[in-house]
Amino acid sequence: MMRISSLSATYPNGFNAVKKADLKLSSGEILALVGESGSGKSTLIYASLGLLPKGSSVSGKVFFDDIEFFALPKEGQRKIRWKKVSLVLQGTMSSFTPVLTIKRQFLEAMEEHLSLTPGEAMAKAVELLEEVGLEGNFLARYPHEMSGGQKQRCAIAMALCCDPDYLLADEPTTALDVITQAEIMNLLKGIAKRRNMGILMVTHDLALASSTADEICVMYQGCTIETERSDIIIKSPKQPHTIALVRSLSMMEE
Amino acid sequence: MSFWRLDTLFLAFLSLLALLTPLLGPVNEAVAPPFCKPLWLDHESGKPLSLNAKDNSLSFTWESKPPKTFSVKGTVTFEDVPKSASLLLAGPSKTYKLVDLAGYRNFDVDIDSRDVPLKLFLGLSPFVDVSSVIFSERGAYSLFIASDVKAHVDLNLNIYTGKWGIFGTDQRGRDVFRLTLAGIRISLLVGIFATLIASTLGMGLGLFAGYLGGLADSSIMRGVDVLLAIPTLPILVVISGVWGRGLWQIVFVLSIFSWMGTARVVRSLTLSLREAPYVEGLRALGAPTGYILARHFIPEAMPLLLAQMALGVPGAILAEAGLSFLGLSDPLMPSWGRMLHEAQVFGAFTSGAWWLIFPPGLGIASICLAFISVGRRFEEMADPRLREMAER
Amino acid sequence: MNTLNNYWLRRVLSSLLVIAVVLSLNFFLFRLMPGDPTGSLLDPRFSPEAKQELLKSYGLDKPLSQQFFMYVKQMLAFRFGISFMSQRPVWQELAERLPNTLLLLFPALLLSAVLGTLLGVAAAKGRGRLTEKAVLLSGAISFSFPSFFVQLVLLLLLAHAFPIFPLRGSLSVPPPTGFWNLVVDRAWHMALPIASLVLLGFGSWALYVRNLMVKVLGEDFILLARAKGLRENEVLWGHAFRTALPPIVTIFFLSLPGVISGAVITETVFSLHGIGKFLLDSVLGHDYPAAGAAFYLMSLVTVICNLLADVVYTFVDPRISFRRLR
Repeated sequence: MMRISSLSATYPNGFNAVKKADLKLSSGEILALVGESGSGKSTLIYASLGLLPKGSSVSGKVFFDDIEFFALPKEGQRKIRWKKVSLVLQGTMSSFTPVLTIKRQFLEAMEEHLSLTPGEAMAKAVELLEEVGLEGNFLARYPHEMSGGQKQRCAIAMALCCDPDYLLADEPTTALDVITQAEIMNLLKGIAKRRNMGILMVTHDLALASSTADEICVMYQGCTIETERSDIIIKSPKQPHTIALVRSLSMMEE
Repeated sequence: MSFWRLDTLFLAFLSLLALLTPLLGPVNEAVAPPFCKPLWLDHESGKPLSLNAKDNSLSFTWESKPPKTFSVKGTVTFEDVPKSASLLLAGPSKTYKLVDLAGYRNFDVDIDSRDVPLKLFLGLSPFVDVSSVIFSERGAYSLFIASDVKAHVDLNLNIYTGKWGIFGTDQRGRDVFRLTLAGIRISLLVGIFATLIASTLGMGLGLFAGYLGGLADSSIMRGVDVLLAIPTLPILVVISGVWGRGLWQIVFVLSIFSWMGTARVVRSLTLSLREAPYVEGLRALGAPTGYILARHFIPEAMPLLLAQMALGVPGAILAEAGLSFLGLSDPLMPSWGRMLHEAQVFGAFTSGAWWLIFPPGLGIASICLAFISVGRRFEEMADPRLREMAER
Repeated sequence: MNTLNNYWLRRVLSSLLVIAVVLSLNFFLFRLMPGDPTGSLLDPRFSPEAKQELLKSYGLDKPLSQQFFMYVKQMLAFRFGISFMSQRPVWQELAERLPNTLLLLFPALLLSAVLGTLLGVAAAKGRGRLTEKAVLLSGAISFSFPSFFVQLVLLLLLAHAFPIFPLRGSLSVPPPTGFWNLVVDRAWHMALPIASLVLLGFGSWALYVRNLMVKVLGEDFILLARAKGLRENEVLWGHAFRTALPPIVTIFFLSLPGVISGAVITETVFSLHGIGKFLLDSVLGHDYPAAGAAFYLMSLVTVICNLLADVVYTFVDPRISFRRLR
């Protein structure tokens, strides 16, 4: 279980984006973090990995199983990253360094955290690509030689390369077309079940969340206001903001 | 944002000095012997002295090391032709006869302590330093006429200690401080005018290219590429060498080779404006082109254009200084680059006259720094991202 | 196939256009001077009869357009004629001096780029500290201090006040014997010129690299590289710097022409036996064959460097392929 406990995060310019957020992510399940723009959901996941810009201040506790992340020294944090918990960025963002091959970017992560021979690492990389529905020869490509959907699958494959227990995804399907969206979501569902991974997905799309996630956590102005199983929260939302969100959902469906 | 900061204050101050340059008087005249040190440099040597004698005599004290040179110039008029008359310089213990004035009603005195005839007249060898002999003691001195007829005197006594002024003198004996001040005007003139002309040219051509597009655009841009590809200083050297060395020639030549940057910027601005949705909206509402230009384009482009201009001035100043340094400018023009040229060519090194090098060089550097600082501020105004970076 | 070489064709044509403009400038500039037009082409010391002979042999009695084509042909074949001042073939003068100029410019540019890049990366990495101030200061110096001033001050300090280095020249007179003695003597003479160029140049490099690196370090793939748990050095150099490399390499080649320009001044200050000084001396001495040839050579090198910048870029940035550029 990944636990976020009373996390607060403030950017260097003084903006307090997250106020005492609480979260629990169980293995094998997908938790959708839902909220409007500016609610602090992206900040929450970057803060929990210690990836906010220099000068930010973060307080609270983050647990990956029994490991308290912030209690670790910098070097310890670095060793855990990708191995215990990995990250997938928004579809529009560039996850990949443009001047390096996909192969290089896969292998460097595996080299850092696993002790495999180069042959084993290559084989594993090919396996991962096939798991996300791409061919092995994508390894030789550069990021600009792939479509948006292909890049996102690749990013997911790379996020799995050290067999992490948890995956944090920041709006992974935004800016992709609807069909690709559905494909990616199915992919993530399958990964969560097959590998017994906990996936924390940030999205502003409540409809998407309700159809894919097992649990939904609603964020509003930096606070986690309501967390509930996805089917229950749609039928009986409790907090006023959640009610408003659900209402707009049903208005769309009508 | 406050307008008056160190850089703008400095530039305003310099502009004021530049305007007041005519008050300096002629700067190309020698005022003292060559390669005099600044006054504040060597304390033992004493200050130079310049005295005028309208009566028959002139008294002063000399309390320092013997001076480098001295001179007496002027006229002596006798009421009647004297049978015996002489110009005498009396020291604490000895008196020296400098000139024999007998037999003339009017006498033009022109004595310099370096003159060989004077040395011979005094009974000294031509290789002796007259000043060190006459001024060998510290104390009271006086210059006077001894004659049997009353005399009217208008004499100037100048004693040179090898020191002069705030920045000394150059190889021609000109006051370096006044030269430095006079140089402000040249640098500002060349920098501002060259940049103004280049900016106007660039703006015009950029607007043309961006607005008209097609053949006009591609030919103008081809011209830009070609001119940018020609090595700047060599072409400036060649053209200056062939065409002449005046101030305005240099301004003109510099303008021709610096409009390209502005043209590119204005062109891309024009292109983006042409396609901008709000411009389409304005057109749909019936706004004429002039209105769009005046009310939207110009305010939008102003900070960027001002930044281009402010940042272009240092380039022009440095280019002019470079050309002057290479000897390609008018020798009578008090340009800072020219001062450095003469410093190098006329042996500032063999005499160790470092005071010839620092004032003009630091002058150029400080003006450029000020313009760059102002230009950066305009840039930050134009592009808020840069401001962010500066504040981070 | 049409689009295949379209970009390179345009670039080469553009370069040829520049050379054409340079040659035209050379041709018309020296002929449009007031006074006897042949005075700029023939050595003024020749007798009138000799001048007539030379006029014929140079084809100066032919119409201007024909003369122009002859001139272009000569220049393209590197036949530069005889120098007025030294009476030697111009190409010989140039060939003598080119190595000296290159010996000055290449080490200076390389050192400025390397030092400036290191400083720029350091400033981007640890921002807000002393390195940041150093970068801004050296950048300001780069852009506002005239090169000859810095060089004169260096000479004053290190060749006059403390006579460690020589005041002028590329080599001692008479030059020492023995290979290593020669090398040391050369190095001793080139030390101050190269040092001055590095001092003046590394600041703008540092500023540029710093700004570039700051931009790159703000990109998302750097965030992801850190999230991958890579070492900070690996993120900085293997990802950030590697992404910034293509523009840096381009700037390196594009700054060569500027350095060549500046050689005129540097060689004048230090009295080096190079092409820049040759250009200046020829112009001042009205030695037009020599001046034209020197200017032509410098323009040629400039054009080649600009082309090289584009070519090398395609090799360093995988997003731009040599063949597919349109």
